[in-house]
Amino acid sequence: SAPMVRMNTLVYATCFADAASSSELSLAYVKLIEQLAVFKGYSAAFCALKLAEEKFPSSTNSQIHLLKMQLLHERALHRGHLRIAQQICDEFGVLSSSVSGVDIELKTEASLRRARTLLAAKQFSQAAAVANSLFTTCYKYNMQVENASVLLLLAEIHRKSDNAVLGLPYALASQSFCKSFNLDLLEASATLTLAELWLALGSNHAKRALSLVYQSLPMILGHGGLELRARSQIVLAKCHLTDPEFSVSEDPCAVLDPLNQAAEDLQVLEYHEMAAEVYYLKAMTYNHLGKEYEREEAAARFKEHVTALENPRDEEDSLVY
Amino acid sequence: LSLFPPVRPPKKTSPKKPPTKQQAAMAEEQMEEASSSAAASGTPFQLQFDKPIPFQIKLAEWNPEKDLLAMVTDDSKVLLHRFNWQRLWTISPGKCITSICWSPDGKIVALGTEDGFVLLHDVENGKMLRSIKSHDVAIICLNWAEDEPLSRTDKEDLLSYEDRTTRFFPPAPVMPRIGGLNSGDTGLADENEEAIQAFSSASCQRFNILCTGDKDGCICFSIFGIFPIGKININKVPIHVQSSGKRTSYRLQDVSISKVSLSRNLHQLVLLCSGKLINTDNLSLSNDLSVGVHCLHLDTSIFSNRKNELHQVSQQASSIQDLVEVVRASISMMSKQWSNAMNLFHEKFSALPSLLTAHGMESSSEDEFMSLLFGTHTSPALHQFLVSSLGEAGLKRIAKTIESAGRELRIVVSEHLQPAVEIISFRLAELRGLARWRSRFQNIGLDEKLMDGVTERVGMLVVQVERFSRVAATVLYLFQNFLSWVLKCVKILLSEPTDQVPSTNSELVVIFLKFLLDKDPIKQLLETDQIFEWDIDTAKHVEHLVVFGGFTDTKFLERSLAKQFSELEESLKEAFLMPFTTVSSQIHCQGLLPLYPVTSSDALSSTSTPASIAFYKDKDSQHNASSYSSTDYICFKIPDGSLNLRNFVAVIKDFCNSCSTSNTPSLSGFLLHIPVEYECVDLSLYKDNQVVLLLSGKSSSENAGRSWMVMLQTENLSFSQFSRTFPANYYNLQELEALELQLDTDYGKVRSVPHPLSTPLAVSASRGVACIFSSRRHALVYILDEDEDEDEDEGSEME
Repeated sequence: SAPMVRMNTLVYATCFADAASSSELSLAYVKLIEQLAVFKGYSAAFCALKLAEEKFPSSTNSQIHLLKMQLLHERALHRGHLRIAQQICDEFGVLSSSVSGVDIELKTEASLRRARTLLAAKQFSQAAAVANSLFTTCYKYNMQVENASVLLLLAEIHRKSDNAVLGLPYALASQSFCKSFNLDLLEASATLTLAELWLALGSNHAKRALSLVYQSLPMILGHGGLELRARSQIVLAKCHLTDPEFSVSEDPCAVLDPLNQAAEDLQVLEYHEMAAEVYYLKAMTYNHLGKEYEREEAAARFKEHVTALENPRDEEDSLVY
Repeated sequence: LSLFPPVRPPKKTSPKKPPTKQQAAMAEEQMEEASSSAAASGTPFQLQFDKPIPFQIKLAEWNPEKDLLAMVTDDSKVLLHRFNWQRLWTISPGKCITSICWSPDGKIVALGTEDGFVLLHDVENGKMLRSIKSHDVAIICLNWAEDEPLSRTDKEDLLSYEDRTTRFFPPAPVMPRIGGLNSGDTGLADENEEAIQAFSSASCQRFNILCTGDKDGCICFSIFGIFPIGKININKVPIHVQSSGKRTSYRLQDVSISKVSLSRNLHQLVLLCSGKLINTDNLSLSNDLSVGVHCLHLDTSIFSNRKNELHQVSQQASSIQDLVEVVRASISMMSKQWSNAMNLFHEKFSALPSLLTAHGMESSSEDEFMSLLFGTHTSPALHQFLVSSLGEAGLKRIAKTIESAGRELRIVVSEHLQPAVEIISFRLAELRGLARWRSRFQNIGLDEKLMDGVTERVGMLVVQVERFSRVAATVLYLFQNFLSWVLKCVKILLSEPTDQVPSTNSELVVIFLKFLLDKDPIKQLLETDQIFEWDIDTAKHVEHLVVFGGFTDTKFLERSLAKQFSELEESLKEAFLMPFTTVSSQIHCQGLLPLYPVTSSDALSSTSTPASIAFYKDKDSQHNASSYSSTDYICFKIPDGSLNLRNFVAVIKDFCNSCSTSNTPSLSGFLLHIPVEYECVDLSLYKDNQVVLLLSGKSSSENAGRSWMVMLQTENLSFSQFSRTFPANYYNLQELEALELQLDTDYGKVRSVPHPLSTPLAVSASRGVACIFSSRRHALVYILDEDEDEDEDEGSEME
């Protein structure tokens, strides 16, 4: 339960601020900033991060440094600044195998991020290779959460590479994994990926996909971050649009509401790729409805995001905050 | 409920043996035996038994699942009997009970009282589970309908939602019980707690709605009988009637509801009420005749269309409400415990200032203790106080009281308050997730912003609880330290050995004297109107945390725990009021059928006129299993003199469908003329399309003392259609075909009963039995279906 994480961390930060050791307190702050990044977007998170850095000088505190790198990486991926993302990934790699010893958790995170960067760069086979080797590592060291998320990542890789059928078993495996370990949110996102995969298989699976989305929605909306929420809304709209029995003119709200919500969330998140998708869908819907002014507007926003994605202008900007 | 294995009526037991040895009953029984053996082949209903009961029964209702009969006596005792007449329990709630009904699963019996309470009692032991005040006046009728499991399709199953709380949390905490002597007023809560636990977990499996109708025309709906979801006042509901292309609006005044029935697909509600019909477009049109009994059809499709959503929300919300009660009880108990301890402390230590003034000294008690601590001198007043008025024994008593109060506080916080608040916050987070799903949950009124606000509040409460436990621990330790220091001083003054006294920290004694001798932070936290001071550092820290996503309300630490809790309650109330009002506003009146006029003189008695409403599934329904339609049957007795009819019973069917689809006027019915020497005592609809009538001989005729029970197959009777033309004539019932009821009729089954009968008649469709009560205080149980196999089928259908 995400709101409870926040609450308990706040309890800690408020009540035990005088008694706690600085490393524990900084951990509480890190958790809070993570929450901010996921739920409120990067600008808020970086704002808080600055304050935290003042409080705990980052040279001595590895946690905050790590957090900073994670945030930067995420933001770079979302903005489409792949070179920066790659650079941070390399830094991660260096950190994970330092002279003092190998931190296995850090190492898995580094390769997970590497796989995601490769995926964003559309180098699917390499991404899959990294993810596969990561899976064997995780399996060896019994890291269940990572296992499930790597499986999910593999499903995602196959989906993005238009191999929906190949992705299905991975998504299913991840889902059952999550079920047995009570990882509800991860399970919900696995269900969502499953829905996306079904959707990719053709319009006659739209009903099944829709029911899967419905299953995962309460969980995702309650506890998922902005990105996941937006993704689920997009899939919901897509399910409706691909369903041959559904007609946009009858019930435009069923499509436009989720899309608007997703657009709001993605605006905060600065996620160009998905925002472009949202506006594309919106423009299509308006086109069907015959509302030309709105269509043009949505199309213009779509173009904006696509150009931002294709020509990452202010790459240096990604490292400052 | 394994306690009650379903007792089937024994097969074909002829009532050869008189089941009772009561003297008074002997004569009648012989007669009964004679008649039943004589007509063993011809008499339709088999008499199961005939038992005297020492009460006058007012209301009676069979359990829908098991062979249990709940009865309410005239002096408002509730009895529960098994089919073999073994009594299971008797309770007297101490309130005048005006209505009774069973929950659909047969595990709870709901009682409506004269002062507007709904009491829910456990079937196993009769313990009260809940008492909910939803009305201001007497509740006349109750109806508890459950969503038909058949109507669930695959798609809805996928929309099903799992309550994750049980997976992540230990069982919810219950109300703290007050240990030791000072229990008493919470004795009830003690017994109830397990029952409440069982109640909340068991009753929330299937979606059901309890409707309550009161004397002033209000209808309340509550999910599971505990979570209020809607309330409408019939007096304020506009009624639009379409007649010959013209739309007329009516309103009812001075409504008193006499019967409500919610269809099993929760789609429609039919109610009978008496009141004055007013044409709102043309007020002059109303006349004397407009006062009468009317039948209304309300569209409750919000319940059936949104049942999954309502189910989820109410499941979370009702358990949140339970937990809020737990928190409230915990807080009040802690403050009681603590104030008891503090009273003793202050009582003892208040002697010191008066002694000081008696010795003519200016200093305060704090100064005196300080000087004692630093060894400068011991004033005679303090000396006298410590040695004589306080004494070693008194000191030890205080120490013990405070210690035990502290222990209690710790237990309450750790076992009740904290887990309760935590589960509340978890459940609220789930609800907030649901609220974000706007397309589904906004139209039942779950508001995202309000839920966000509540979530913030509960988060602050969590922090407050944490702070409270810290403050309490500190204060307790300081008290302990101070008291053992005083004890040491006393021993020194009495020149006794001090080696048994634990060593004390004099620094903490100073803190105690400075901060605690006159102030009481625990009490401050437990009282609502206190403002708690908090140092600037922390305030800054909290403001700082806002940037990190902390609570935007930075002043929250100034509030006391109790204040924070009451704020949470307020916002919870506001948040749950939204679904309440939203759902209420979506219940509309669909149709109106004036039944018969009543003159104002007998308006009062009209509410007790026998009537029965039931919904039956259409047999020839062409729809698929998910959305079957149902036909409503309304059966009622027309009071003598009304509509110039005497001794008539009317049966009407298809009222709802005629309201919704105006092009096919399917409304139909018939009148039944009862032989003049009898009068109808009570009636009930039974199983599929059957009517059971109780006729009792009028005292003037030669048939006095003899009664008949008649079961009619309505399919065999001719329904005639009748129009609903407004406003030319309000009451159209005379148009209906009148049939003479002969007691040897072929229409149905007839059996004579050698008693004068009185209300009520209780029939059980699932068991095929009827229980009737004679005015000579006898209960007779008849088996309505001789064919046991048919009964069997019916039973399995019910399951």
